[in-house]
Amino acid sequence: MSFAVVGTLVVGGLAALDGTAVAQTLASQPLVTATLLGFLWGDWSTAMATGTVLQIMAASTLPIGARTPEDYSVGGVVGAGVALIIAAGAPFEHVRQAASLVGVMAGMITASLGVPLLRWQRRRNEGLARWCEMELRAGRERALGDAQWAAVTLAFALGLAAAAAGLGLARWAAPLVERESLRLAGAWHLLQPLWLGFGFAQLLHAFLQRRLERAGVFVAALVGAWLVIVAGAP
Amino acid sequence: MSGRIDRKTLFAMGLRANLLQAAWNFERQQGLGWAFALAPALDRLYPERSERLERLAEHTAYFNTQPTLASIALGAAARVEEDRAQGRGGDAASMARLKSALGSTLAALGDRLFWFSLRPFAAAVGVLVAMAMPRHGWGALALWSVYALPHLSLRFGGVRWGYEAGPAVLSGAFRERLEAAVRWLAVLGCVVLGVAFAWALAPGGEPRPIAVQCALAVGLGAGLLTAQRARPSPTRWALAFGAVGLILAWRTHG
Repeated sequence: MSFAVVGTLVVGGLAALDGTAVAQTLASQPLVTATLLGFLWGDWSTAMATGTVLQIMAASTLPIGARTPEDYSVGGVVGAGVALIIAAGAPFEHVRQAASLVGVMAGMITASLGVPLLRWQRRRNEGLARWCEMELRAGRERALGDAQWAAVTLAFALGLAAAAAGLGLARWAAPLVERESLRLAGAWHLLQPLWLGFGFAQLLHAFLQRRLERAGVFVAALVGAWLVIVAGAP
Repeated sequence: MSGRIDRKTLFAMGLRANLLQAAWNFERQQGLGWAFALAPALDRLYPERSERLERLAEHTAYFNTQPTLASIALGAAARVEEDRAQGRGGDAASMARLKSALGSTLAALGDRLFWFSLRPFAAAVGVLVAMAMPRHGWGALALWSVYALPHLSLRFGGVRWGYEAGPAVLSGAFRERLEAAVRWLAVLGCVVLGVAFAWALAPGGEPRPIAVQCALAVGLGAGLLTAQRARPSPTRWALAFGAVGLILAWRTHG
């Protein structure tokens, strides 16, 4: 197994930790993990193309209260990992674009499938919490630390296993994607901007909160930036 | 005789607050993590083992709030435990009421600040930087630092803040500051998104083909329409767009 594959699995485990269990610093967001994987696999363009689209989708997925959100921590790693493993060694640009499309779809599907998996993990944690209280009342002080580390280990293992499953499927699907790469690259040319625009809208909706003056700020920034970018270009 | 909570203990609590959600579950939510984070203070306040274990078990009960601001609640609860250990505080029921009040108030403030404002803002900044400099890791660094620096500062500093102010930490001034931060982040977020959208239309000053610009505009319009309802989720919509795009690509290139 190559260093990049092992690295991807470890990043999958670590992303699952940062997502909920440990620290929650957003180091698990798809843009961050895709950047790490791009460095590991030596393919920035595929990693960033995949990571940017997944990031914009992840930004509108919020872990509010007891809601189990789509798991973009692991989805981001699987998405970028799938794209990179398919694109690895591909000599043509259209194969890399096809890989990005498949990676984004794989990332979003993994994020959606992550919901029942997260719920299962949280139900296991219920038993752990009850056991811990019982042990504490029986005088076993170390139970609190043991329960915490058991939960952390479970989260890491699930992230690692999901990344391994994603990479395994990608290796199996790579020849098919390569064969259909022209069609997939064609779809990527339209879907990438469509997804980006869709994701921008979700973020904009979060900022606007039905306030007209904020919509005015957005339009003014858009027009001003367009003029500066286009007029200032060489 | 119980001791007072010192700086080292408060730092240890801040460090352990990073595991607040490690064993998150539907029944007690952050309860286990809360007890784990509060344990250094209880170690110091209750030298007698049986009493300490009783307090620890009490604190494994239900608790939930926004995880960054939970540090403030931890500090305030440590202060009340200090009074309780010295025989000046209330009982288990009053501690449960305090936790419930702090949890719900901090969740209301923290969700708006961290989940609805800072997280989307950090993502917008990260995506803009990543689009402008696609061959470097600056986008990831920008996203991470915009969110993680205030998050970690509050996670560690919040424990001390909550401890010094006690249950009165949720004063009017504190709320006003958070509300102002939410408003400014929303306005700045609109600016960043405007610039990012302009860059997506014409990266580096070179306008993209009209079909790509139309796809961006259609995506924006569809996104604003679908955002009016919580379900189906944005991911499901995006997957549906992906499926339609694939079918069209097969028919066009077939």
